[in-house]
Amino acid sequence: MKTTVSFLIARQFCKNAFRSGALYAIMIVMMVMIGFAAYSGWKIYTSQNATRQHYQQEARESWENNPDKHPHRMAHFGSFAFRLKHPLSMFDFGLESFTGNAVYLEAHRQNSVNFSEASFSTGLLRFGEISMAMLLQVVLPLIVFFLGFASISAERENGTLKVMLTQGVAWKDILVGKSMGIFSLAMFMVVPVIVITLFLLLLTDQTSFTTDSLLRYAGIVIAYLVFTLVLCFITVLISTVSTSSKNALMTLLAVWLFMIVLLPKTTQALGNYFYPSLSKIEFDTAVELDVLKEGDSHNPDDPHYKNLRDSVLQVYKVDSVQQLPFNYSGFVMREGERISAEIYQRHLEELVYTYKKQNSINKITAWINPYAAVRNISMALSGTDFESYVAFQQEAERYRYQLAQTMNELQMKFISNEKLGPNDKPYTISHEHWKEIPDFRPQHLSIDTALGNELSSMLSLVFWTVLSIALIIRLSKKAKAI
Amino acid sequence: MYALFIKQFLRSKAVILSFILTLIMGIISILIGQQFLSRQENIIRQVTAHQREHIERNVAAHDEMGLLLYYLRFSLISQPDKIAALSIGQRDVNPSIQSVTIRTLEGQRYDTDLNNPSNLQSGNLDLGFVILYLFPLLIIAFTFNLLSEEQEAGTWRLIAVQAKSAQTYLLRKVSVRTIALYILLAVLFLIAILGLSLPVNEALLAFAIASVLYLAFWFAFCFWVITFKRSSSFNVLTLLSAWVVFTILLPAAVNNFVANLYPVPESLATMVEQRDGYHEKWDKDKGDTMEKFYAHYPQFKTYGVPEQTFSWLWYYAMQQMGDDESLQHSRAMRDKIMQREQVSRSIAMVMPTMHTQLLFNDVARTSLSDYVQLLDSTQTFHERMRLHFYPKIFDNAVVKDEDWKRFTPEYITERKSVNWLAMLLPLIITVAILCILSGSNMRRIKSV
Repeated sequence: MKTTVSFLIARQFCKNAFRSGALYAIMIVMMVMIGFAAYSGWKIYTSQNATRQHYQQEARESWENNPDKHPHRMAHFGSFAFRLKHPLSMFDFGLESFTGNAVYLEAHRQNSVNFSEASFSTGLLRFGEISMAMLLQVVLPLIVFFLGFASISAERENGTLKVMLTQGVAWKDILVGKSMGIFSLAMFMVVPVIVITLFLLLLTDQTSFTTDSLLRYAGIVIAYLVFTLVLCFITVLISTVSTSSKNALMTLLAVWLFMIVLLPKTTQALGNYFYPSLSKIEFDTAVELDVLKEGDSHNPDDPHYKNLRDSVLQVYKVDSVQQLPFNYSGFVMREGERISAEIYQRHLEELVYTYKKQNSINKITAWINPYAAVRNISMALSGTDFESYVAFQQEAERYRYQLAQTMNELQMKFISNEKLGPNDKPYTISHEHWKEIPDFRPQHLSIDTALGNELSSMLSLVFWTVLSIALIIRLSKKAKAI
Repeated sequence: MYALFIKQFLRSKAVILSFILTLIMGIISILIGQQFLSRQENIIRQVTAHQREHIERNVAAHDEMGLLLYYLRFSLISQPDKIAALSIGQRDVNPSIQSVTIRTLEGQRYDTDLNNPSNLQSGNLDLGFVILYLFPLLIIAFTFNLLSEEQEAGTWRLIAVQAKSAQTYLLRKVSVRTIALYILLAVLFLIAILGLSLPVNEALLAFAIASVLYLAFWFAFCFWVITFKRSSSFNVLTLLSAWVVFTILLPAAVNNFVANLYPVPESLATMVEQRDGYHEKWDKDKGDTMEKFYAHYPQFKTYGVPEQTFSWLWYYAMQQMGDDESLQHSRAMRDKIMQREQVSRSIAMVMPTMHTQLLFNDVARTSLSDYVQLLDSTQTFHERMRLHFYPKIFDNAVVKDEDWKRFTPEYITERKSVNWLAMLLPLIITVAILCILSGSNMRRIKSV
């Protein structure tokens, strides 16, 4: 019978809410915002991905159309890696606007990933971006607090609370009923977002609509439903323990400010403050120094490469590199590329580790801030988080390395060791080889990797659910009617 | 009377607490600004040292001008002013230093710094942020119940009857809070000036005046809302919603709108074209390339078409083609960026939050246009370097004859002056309108 009582209370709460004009105003504004966010998300996703795919293809055609030439020229001709957006980035922009989108891949050099949306943006970017996820993370809590701050306190102020309790309604039913009432009102906002997101996902082309993206979508839906539930419980709890509706409102607004504006910004700033990362010049200099320590492949007297030559000559039992069965300079470049790529990789890993430390303070706050938890989970599942970006960077570098090494190997195999005179035509190999190199195809992280990265955020969301339910139960035994 | 107002205001623990909290956030923001400045200064020192060492090493290793200039990088620095610490703006996203070789520029000048995208997304907690976001919250907290609390406590009737003028009474109450917040603002500015050793100049003055006007906007807005004589709960809900709309939703919506209106696919076009423009020349007729090169630089025509398979003259002519053939898209990209800037500025005129943010960045030289200025200056700088070294490369001049010591990093010196009218007028007009609106509400206020 109890569930019916909670249900009645919930229904009554919604009915009352619909009697006020404010709710309609809020809903209309929210619908407009959701519509705008959905449109923006869809537009950005489709136009950006179309542009990137277009240029990936154009760059590929121009790669394949190269005539016969020396493979090392092709290694310098290089390729590009354009980052493709995950379809769910329509829902949550995450870090998308702040990460580079295109990188030029060539031999010997790891170029920076350029042309982030932020680099073309005005100072207005500081105010943030409107995505459907942002509306659910930032505006929804505020609306839930608005709707529910008086849920219990007003009944107490009116004296109706006493009446209900004396009529035999249990505290638990009242608290759960009110929470459910707020929750159902919140669903007027959450459900449209869920539906629109699914609709947009279905609109994308079939290749991007996979079980993986469906699972990610399901994960997002669950995360936001849980988040909303926690918010409703918190609202009812605070409304119950506050001495007046006004105080409840003040407390809830302070919670909102702290949770959504102050804490995330401050913790990220502190992370950056406590774990300073290397600047580009420091990073490049460190890599350059380490590479020079290993040896300079362009310097004929360099001890590392001299030793290498001597040992190669010994193994093949010849007196000069011209007699080797493969192109020696291709061999040296392969060695040089391997060394410099390894050194670069080592430094990059250190840098990424520093970034992760910078982000760690913010991540830990998920335990005291459900907003941080849902934000991290949402970004990870939408493929717009830090890890997704690092994965792209790694993928691009792997492709670059393989491209350079394949060209070095083609040179070893097909280019003669005889030195050419100043007026001779340069050695070339057939252009047929160019097509053999696969094009760059970025892959998104799989859902289990994405979730694995956010294990602590998920646990903290579970923790928040358990905590708020426990508090409701505890309060239902201790709460006062007056 | 005033003493009582002040006493009443400061009696609340919440007021003191929020003051202290904002003061602490302000000091943190100044520390963050200081860290930004010292990091930038540090980088400039490193770049300067690195350039000297890099040139020395390469000059020692290469005796061929063409090959040497393949490696040499020259830096152009847009040093942030000290005031940039107060509003870091786009200086975190975009680099302040360009290090370029004289090869194809388009492949180099968009290179970014190494950044943690999470930090960029979170944005800098600088003093600009504290003023733009946190001060309005304080203003809301201090004013929302000025009138309603008296009404709710039943004291308003007494005041309306006893006070000479209820309007004056209300205005005095507001002025106590205004003065308190302006003192807090002044304290923060003082800490910033002393802590960052900010020069007291036109820029700082503009920054301060803009802050004062911006806070005046919020006071006027809050005052206008409370003169409708609604309940405390209604006021706080309205004001906080307005805060969310003004500082988050509207500006963010405008940002989305502008980004969608002006996408920049030209950036990727430029990137691909600069590669193809240069690299394809390896397989094309040498004479054609040289002809195009001489069309661009007729002064070098006498060097003719080299006969050898490889020559540096031909090499740099090919590199030049990377720039020449991507020129159109590169220009289109610049136009797009400037369009974004202009449209944002126009829309921002009517919304003090956006206008003040852009204004802070302008004054601190941390805006998008300052980055575009660096890009433009890099082009001029690069061209100057090219024209200096081209004849030396083509003549195969002796490396040792060049005075390499004089190639230290260069600085952008150009400064915009403050356009006071365009800066402050939108804020003044908004404040004036709100004052008039509140004034007309005030006239009706005495009747209970």
